Amino acid sequence: MADPSSAYAELAAARGLEQLPTFDPGPLTPLIVEAKGEPLHPAARGPLGEEVSGVVGQLAYRRNKTFRFHVALIEVPTATAFAPRVFCIRRGRSTRDDEFYGFEARHSKLWTESTALNERFEVSTSPYQDPNWLRQLFSPSFVDWLGTKPPAGFSFELAYGALLGSIEEDDPGVDGLAALCDATAHVATRIREECEE
Amino acid sequence: MQLNKVGIGLIAFFGLAGATFAIVPILVGAPGEVAGILASIGVIWVLVAAGLYWYARRQEKKAAHDDWIFRQGLRGTATVLSAGSSATVNEMPLMSLRLDLDVPGHGRQEVKRREIMPVFAATRMEPGLVLPVYANPKDPSEFVLVW
Repeated sequence: MADPSSAYAELAAARGLEQLPTFDPGPLTPLIVEAKGEPLHPAARGPLGEEVSGVVGQLAYRRNKTFRFHVALIEVPTATAFAPRVFCIRRGRSTRDDEFYGFEARHSKLWTESTALNERFEVSTSPYQDPNWLRQLFSPSFVDWLGTKPPAGFSFELAYGALLGSIEEDDPGVDGLAALCDATAHVATRIREECEE
Repeated sequence: MQLNKVGIGLIAFFGLAGATFAIVPILVGAPGEVAGILASIGVIWVLVAAGLYWYARRQEKKAAHDDWIFRQGLRGTATVLSAGSSATVNEMPLMSLRLDLDVPGHGRQEVKRREIMPVFAATRMEPGLVLPVYANPKDPSEFVLVW
């Protein structure tokens, strides 16, 4: 198994990030909860994009096998009042279903209005998320960007102001980590713009 | 928001298996004591299926009503005043929330709400968190909390 530490050190040097031995984000998003308290290791904190700061790190945990993600975490607190939860997960990535009974309402609702988006991603939100806000967030240009620009396998989770961009890869190298940071920063900027509209 | 495959499967299992237990032993002429035991089990299972069906219909009606409030309701905000949990359901906390409900045209009022939430949501329910709500225009204390 390749050790990504050198890629993180290289990324930190190139972008002026502070290297952290570990970082415990707390149970902020479903992916982090899946790791059951495993911290990000290695990790680095600082500017991830233009006027966007956060933490980037490796999230690894074991179930029936070892899952290895690289994630970038950015706070977008203004988003909570508009969209408490928006999960945009690349199709094919296995995630845990949130249904727990045969009779209760689901805790999330699929958003399927954009065909272009749905070809690549599964988007789910709070059941009573304002659809107009989502339509504005997922503008044609943003959907086009999501389909073409982020690194392969990129997904993001927005939960109560915590934005987590992620890729599932063992060792993406410094270029892959930089692409993850850029993509997550772009999504954060897009969400902030929409909150300010 | 509708009965999912698990729910349909449970109702079908208890209903069909219960009916089979209740009827088949009698039809095939099983000894009276055996037929009686199986029939009792069968009746209980059919009652379970009926109970599940009733619960499912109730949930569907509640979901339909919530959908109506979401479509026709007044949009406001709910600020979390306090949040706590003393129980879990399938590893998800049952949260007791005290909220400051602010609905345009109806002023503010303090309300309580219980919700089963995933861990990542429950941990964010801290005082000061502002969440969107949709309130029944005729009775704003009836509201859908967007969390």
